[in-house]
Amino acid sequence: MLPDQIIDRWLPQFRKGLLEFIILLKLKQDMSYGYEIASEIKNLTSIEVAEGTLYPLLNRLKRDGLVTTEWKTEDVGTPRKYYQITEAGIETLDKMKLIWTNTHSSVLKMVMQS
Amino acid sequence: MTFQFSIKSDISKKIWSGFERELNHKLKPLPESERDDIKMEILSHLYESASNDKADSEENRIINAIDRLGEPDLYLTPLISDILQAQNVAKGHPKAIAKSLLKTTQQSILHLALTAIFGFGYVISIIIFIMGIMHIFNPNVGVWLNDSGGLLSLSFSFQPNAVQWMPEKFSFIAISLSSLSYWLLSKLLYALLLSSKK
Repeated sequence: MLPDQIIDRWLPQFRKGLLEFIILLKLKQDMSYGYEIASEIKNLTSIEVAEGTLYPLLNRLKRDGLVTTEWKTEDVGTPRKYYQITEAGIETLDKMKLIWTNTHSSVLKMVMQS
Repeated sequence: MTFQFSIKSDISKKIWSGFERELNHKLKPLPESERDDIKMEILSHLYESASNDKADSEENRIINAIDRLGEPDLYLTPLISDILQAQNVAKGHPKAIAKSLLKTTQQSILHLALTAIFGFGYVISIIIFIMGIMHIFNPNVGVWLNDSGGLLSLSFSFQPNAVQWMPEKFSFIAISLSSLSYWLLSKLLYALLLSSKK
């Protein structure tokens, strides 16, 4: 199997878990809406993602009770569906952060040694 | 929730309403409230994305925004299936509950079946390989057929009223075939593992 094929297989799994984590991190800072979250992901990370694919993730987070939603039309005039992190979302995010910190430092160490 | 997005040119209006029609068609399986909610969220995203696009014409800005959203099936299919499944299970719909249970147990059953099939295959391969080696030192180890030549059995000792199958070539055949089947099973298992991770 070619390296590119391996990356094609590995990337969607890596991305999915990472995106949920990034979305919760973003929502911990402030409530946000789909387009803004997508733009931020694009600006802050090198993750290439079709913007629409964020919506099944956001819906899953909502169904799991990690976020709530609210429509707002003030400020800009166009309706925006805002996502806000819940207590359960914050608790989950704290656990994700712990796992991320522990894993990140070990992986980074291994990357530097390789 | 309904909202009239401000689109100016006729071409842009056509592109916009074409996309809206596609959304309406694909979201049909959902209840009206969910359908309107998702449609409005996607259209709001599209509008804002197009407004911030750098292209010269309005139609190109909309086309670029649709392109950035990705194929509608890519995001609508999982969204619709998740919502419908959750709603039906929450309503206590027996079919949805059965489907949900089936979905969660399907993988376990498949894994169990594959473990049994591969486990059996590996065990047989290893036994035949060992028999092939043992046959070199003990010629009674091998495959025995009953008098009529029908029933076939593996045996480690002499079998009365039975004829040994190809005693002179058994070691060669057993070692080669068992090695080949072991190799094939490993390749097949590897391919299955790869495809299951996709």
